[in-house]
Amino acid sequence: MAGAEILRIEVVYALPDTQHVIAMELAAGASVRTAIERSGLLQKFPEIRLAHDKVGIFGRVVKLDDGLDDGDRLEIYRPLVRDPKEARRELAARGKTMGRG
Amino acid sequence: MTVLADRIDALLPQTQCRRCGYPDCRKYAEAIATGATDINRCPPGGQETLQALAKLTGRTAAAGIDPGLGGFTPGHVAVIIEPLCIGCTKCIQACPVDAIVGAAKQMHTVIEALCTGCELCIPPCPVDCIRMQPARGTTEGMVVPVSGNKQADFFRAHYRARSARLAREQTERHARLRRKEFAAGAREEVIARRKAEIAAAVARVRAKRAQQPSKPGGGSR
Repeated sequence: MAGAEILRIEVVYALPDTQHVIAMELAAGASVRTAIERSGLLQKFPEIRLAHDKVGIFGRVVKLDDGLDDGDRLEIYRPLVRDPKEARRELAARGKTMGRG
Repeated sequence: MTVLADRIDALLPQTQCRRCGYPDCRKYAEAIATGATDINRCPPGGQETLQALAKLTGRTAAAGIDPGLGGFTPGHVAVIIEPLCIGCTKCIQACPVDAIVGAAKQMHTVIEALCTGCELCIPPCPVDCIRMQPARGTTEGMVVPVSGNKQADFFRAHYRARSARLAREQTERHARLRRKEFAAGAREEVIARRKAEIAAAVARVRAKRAQQPSKPGGGSR
């Protein structure tokens, strides 16, 4: 992956009713922030606030200044609807855990 | 054998659902090719796949799909009930084709076009927030075949891409661990060498003293 001059990546913003997948090519060395800015998703979805919302690559949260590898899927996440504390209480009552992995 | 397995794999729907009892469609194809298993163990493929497999292998399709493997509704995809999702990532780990977007404590969402309908995400969910429902064409920005061989190729490509990524991540994890062990080993080596040097010095001094029992300046000439 390292050493590729052109990075072929995808930027994804997934909503229940429309999942937006933007395929793009970037010069090697491009940052997460650059990819998201070039995707056009920020203009289309003003509710995305990069300073606040988390972003990641294949489920692993990354920082806006991080680099990208060829083949990465850059994902812009949305917050949970449910209050996690409340969810944990309900799960405990049912004898289940949120667990790890 | 491999060529036959390739041709069998090309007939399978690539849902990667494991209903057949094998870890993926490819492994099932290989098992059919060697004669280790029957051709009627693919519920997603249904009658169509069964007939094609019978034609290719010369075996009989008379028994029909094994009813013990559960039904399968083509065209159904997983959907997450958002008010219930706790962001646990278990479904993401279970998905064989990276069809679910999300991270720890973030909302998880199924990219409909990528979902093979395998249902492997459903059992791991601790809050039962995943349902199967007919696909609605909600994915934008991807050119996606909706059925047939082209769709199977699309699913296979995504399954392989995920498998390759997981293998790469594991190799990187192992390399990191080895580097760490090497660093720890090197540190231990240095400590051991210094201890040996000190012990050798102490031994030299003792040997010297043994040769000259009287303390310097304390003896008579």
